[in-house]
Amino acid sequence: MKIAVCAKQIPDPANEVTYSNGTIERPEEQVLDDTDRYGIEVALQLKEKFDAEVTIISMGPSGTQKGLQQALQMGADKAVFVDDESLKGANSLMTANVLSELAKSLSADIVIFGTESTDGYSGTVPQQVSRYLDLECISYVKAVEINDNVTLTRQTVEGSEKLNMPEKCVISVTAGGVEPRYPNFKDIMAAKSKPIEQVSISDLTINTTQNLEFIDIETVENSKSGEKIVDEGEAYQEIVNKLKELKVI
Amino acid sequence: MKTLIIGEIINNNLSSGTLEILGKAKSLDLDVQVVTVGSDENPSIGLDLCKQTYLKRQNNSLNLSKAATKISEIIKNEEISLILGSSTYMCRDLISFLSVDLNSSPVSNVIDFDVASGNVSTVNSINGGESLYKTKINSGQALLLIRPKAFDPVEVNFNDDFETIDLDGSDLEVFDIFIEEKSGPQLEDSKVVISAGRGMVDKENLELIETLASKLNAAIGGTRAIVDAGWMPYSQQVGQTGKTVKPDVYIACGISGATQHQVGMKDSKFVIAINKDEEAPIFQLADLGIVGDTLSVIPKLNDNI
Ligand SMILES: Cc1cc2nc3c(=O)[nH]c(=O)nc-3n(C[C@H](O)[C@H](O)[C@H](O)COP(=O)(O)OP(=O)(O)OC[C@H]3O[C@@H](n4cnc5c(N)ncnc54)[C@H](O)[C@@H]3O)c2cc1C
Repeated sequence: MKIAVCAKQIPDPANEVTYSNGTIERPEEQVLDDTDRYGIEVALQLKEKFDAEVTIISMGPSGTQKGLQQALQMGADKAVFVDDESLKGANSLMTANVLSELAKSLSADIVIFGTESTDGYSGTVPQQVSRYLDLECISYVKAVEINDNVTLTRQTVEGSEKLNMPEKCVISVTAGGVEPRYPNFKDIMAAKSKPIEQVSISDLTINTTQNLEFIDIETVENSKSGEKIVDEGEAYQEIVNKLKELKVI
Repeated sequence: MKTLIIGEIINNNLSSGTLEILGKAKSLDLDVQVVTVGSDENPSIGLDLCKQTYLKRQNNSLNLSKAATKISEIIKNEEISLILGSSTYMCRDLISFLSVDLNSSPVSNVIDFDVASGNVSTVNSINGGESLYKTKINSGQALLLIRPKAFDPVEVNFNDDFETIDLDGSDLEVFDIFIEEKSGPQLEDSKVVISAGRGMVDKENLELIETLASKLNAAIGGTRAIVDAGWMPYSQQVGQTGKTVKPDVYIACGISGATQHQVGMKDSKFVIAINKDEEAPIFQLADLGIVGDTLSVIPKLNDNI
């Protein structure tokens, strides 16, 4: 079984996302998007049961490759990435086009994603990749049971539903769906010798264009200058008074 | 502009998200039709104001990709230029599939859009609503995923006048379909919402929230942190990846106020926040902020209401 799992490098989410000309500014050092840890965890659980090969696929400025290293530290076997100036500010469809080409080049049976990235959060790439690859898409997986069969539980508007994982498909895993593992010192050292390969965009078939034109970013004043009261035992009374004033009680 | 809205069914009727998009489409005077995807037997979704087509799928197989193929066909045959859907699980899947078929990247998290001289432009809210990001779409077809509560719903009369197209199932059989029980006031339409975060310290303490909610006839929400921790079902999550609420009063209990949470509640009319950290970002959104311990303030509230 060959598994491709997406890992996006993003600016440290502890800092606010900044934009330049409509595109997220990316420092040299980016980190693994936590959202992807859930997908990687599922890939690794499948690997443990079915002896799969797990390859990280990634697109974007590679920089110090810290995020890719973090993905390898969790236990993936290798990583391939595309980093090309022409992809700067790529829309979701271009991203999906590139990632599906990477998955194809690996002959991946199963392609796994988080549900949406923390920085861009368009939340459409896994489904788009499935369409490019003409594979079934099992989106919003929130629980995985691995026996001889693999049973996936999907989140739906009304609740949930279960499916057996087919031999080939694309999966997106929600945050909280599984408990991502923490690498130990040995894992961290082992990751350093794992292969990371850059794939040239000229080796991929790209049909998408930049159809979304950035116009402007406008700042809105959100913050309210509300009252702030330090509770010394009686602050609840302020809430009661306010609720009365608002006619809630 | 020829427009197709992907409709969704909740409780045998069109979802509020669908009606909100219809409201906006009408206000822009777009030439609109609705194509609804669902599995209900006899939904009441015919519309007096535009054409409705029902793509009926079996709920025992996952066949949204087949629904998308059918919608693509309609879009191409009828030369549709604008395709709209709510940011829900189903529409995110469908619009993503369509974007590949039409080779046009969609815009997600749209909170407003406009059509002028044949061009579609969109507004997204980024950084938890601190900034608005504006885009113009330069492709034959524009695909938009719209955030709930962005627009006022249209007033419609439903009828039984619509065409039904039965979709084939797929090989992906679905089983153990679980429908979460809904009781009490619902998040989307409650005038008062009380939300809990990790600052409630322990799942057991949510009883305090339940008591307060029943006194105020409020719906209960939560942050992703506590949903992930299993304190509350996902259907109660408020925020970017959960529900958007706009109540008259929102009471945030032990919530830090991460941008992803703010997106789902910042348009509430009056926000009350209880948090022991006076630097917590939720206070920037609060009309009344109490710097204090949830476990001490809420019991007193319960005793005095
Ligand atoms: C892609 C993505 C999507 C996301 N979508 C969502 C979403 O839809 N909704 C959402 O909510 N989050 C979402 N998040 C997560 C979000 O970033 C935050 O992690 C989450 O909202 C934090 O939840 P919290 O406020 O409960 O916990 P914390 O951030 O841990 O905050 C707990 C707060 O409680 C306070 N506190 C602790 N003890 C007490 C006490 N005894 N009394 C009073 N106060 C106390 C602390 O001071 C702190 O401010 C998303 C994240 C990502 C990356």
